[in-house]
Amino acid sequence: MRAFEVLNPGAFTTIQDLGRPGYMKYGIPASGIADRFSGQVANLLVGNPPGAALLEVTLFRLELLALNDLVIAVTGGNLSPTVNRDPLPMWQALPIQKGDRVAFRARKKGFRAYLTVQGGFSGQEFLGSRSVFVRGIMGTPLQAGNILEFEDPEGKSIPQGNFPQEMIPSFSILNPLRVILGPQEERFSPKGIETFLTSEYRVSSQSDRMGYRLEGLAIEHLQGADIISEPISRGAIQVPGDGLPIILLWDAQVSGGYVKIANVITADLDRLAQIMPGESLRFQSATLEEAHLAWRMEALRFERIKSAIAGHG
Amino acid sequence: MSEWPKIRPSGDRGILVEFENRIDPEVNRSVRSFALIIESENLPGINEILPAYRTLLVAYDPLKIEYQSLVEKINFWIKKAKSIDLPPGRIFRLPTVYGGAHGPDLKMVAETTHLSQEEVIQVFSETRFMVYFIGFICGLAYLGGLPEILRVPRLATPRTLVPAGSVGLAGGQANAITTDQPSGFNYIGRTFVNLYDPLLFPPVPFLSGDEIQFMPVAEEEALRGRGKQAVDFL
Repeated sequence: MRAFEVLNPGAFTTIQDLGRPGYMKYGIPASGIADRFSGQVANLLVGNPPGAALLEVTLFRLELLALNDLVIAVTGGNLSPTVNRDPLPMWQALPIQKGDRVAFRARKKGFRAYLTVQGGFSGQEFLGSRSVFVRGIMGTPLQAGNILEFEDPEGKSIPQGNFPQEMIPSFSILNPLRVILGPQEERFSPKGIETFLTSEYRVSSQSDRMGYRLEGLAIEHLQGADIISEPISRGAIQVPGDGLPIILLWDAQVSGGYVKIANVITADLDRLAQIMPGESLRFQSATLEEAHLAWRMEALRFERIKSAIAGHG
Repeated sequence: MSEWPKIRPSGDRGILVEFENRIDPEVNRSVRSFALIIESENLPGINEILPAYRTLLVAYDPLKIEYQSLVEKINFWIKKAKSIDLPPGRIFRLPTVYGGAHGPDLKMVAETTHLSQEEVIQVFSETRFMVYFIGFICGLAYLGGLPEILRVPRLATPRTLVPAGSVGLAGGQANAITTDQPSGFNYIGRTFVNLYDPLLFPPVPFLSGDEIQFMPVAEEEALRGRGKQAVDFL
């Protein structure tokens, strides 16, 4: 069934779901929703499974025309969404009508918004996922004139509960991103490690779903930047010869030959997804135990929200 | 006691297992044996693995398995892997057109190596390249076995777009790129056989341990490989 016509595709809008983990050994990154918390909450709000395919909207200018009566939800960064020029309330299910226009007008906070529709968006599956991965020839960003289809929702009721508004992420860039040092921290001088952990880095305009290039003080290596190519984990921070770190993210290569100074912890990746090029960030060292505890807390928080939205909260 | 293998965290959901620090078929066999054991164990909590030249990443879910207990299992599997036999690799012989528009750097490679273009083609095409692992992006096979005589540097300025199937070399390595992409390798030929297809399973025809030979053929014959799968050339 037809959901929307794309009037303006915006800066970069793609269909994403929870991606395709399991294909690293074929050289294929998992891709998927960058800010998984926001994306999954959007789906829960309209009664979808948390990993249903939705739109990941980057910055602004996306404009859609509803081709059916739909139930949608918008979460994530605040990109000033509107329905027919009125502000669109975020973080809640919202019925809209055929002929309504949904637009994203200006970036207020965050970098990526998520728009889902009850039933979830259709779209070609590649290796079990609808996540667009441009470099892997798996779909393309939205283009003007595209017709977006959606799956007929099984139940048309909206979940009874609400998203607890105090749990809307602040997308603050003030807190440092926590990292686990390694796996090649010994390839950096103590001064290099200190530079990395104490200075501020600006996200370069050459940043995308593959990675964030950072600008700031160069990090000193001990014996060059090259290693025999090895696997790369999501959130790995590689430091090539120029000493400027690159955080490798959702659509990044799965292997590479530069030394890695650290890895952003999983619990902080959603927050990273909402940092916009031009903004600055800092890093803070964490232990593996701290990282796993933070992840467990995130998982518990998500379960609580799930119950609250379902109305059992 | 050797300092290898080493086991250490790679972020909060990866464990990097490192074998001896060199590119070597024997070291890579250890990696592959270990990979085979992990896959056959099918332990809940392990999400996926990526075996590379001399390292292997175990991606795990810390909500399902604790780091320390996984490290213990890994140590056990490393010992177990020493006694297994790896299945033999397969040999793919891919029809490849060398030189001309399909191999724009053949002339330069010949000049740099002080060989004739025919000699470059001969040495390159007689080499059985071993697939060390599949990685980078879109199923790129990391190939080993390039004869030392064909060692040439990367291009000073990488090309912004090289077509899929281009066969090239640089810095003692060889590759056949699987999709159109920028590259700094010297491309001397092209195969039209399908090397990557996200609509197929598996999306990539090669496995680590396989061998590839780029057989010199005329353009017409190379073009007949278009749309064919690499398994048709075993």
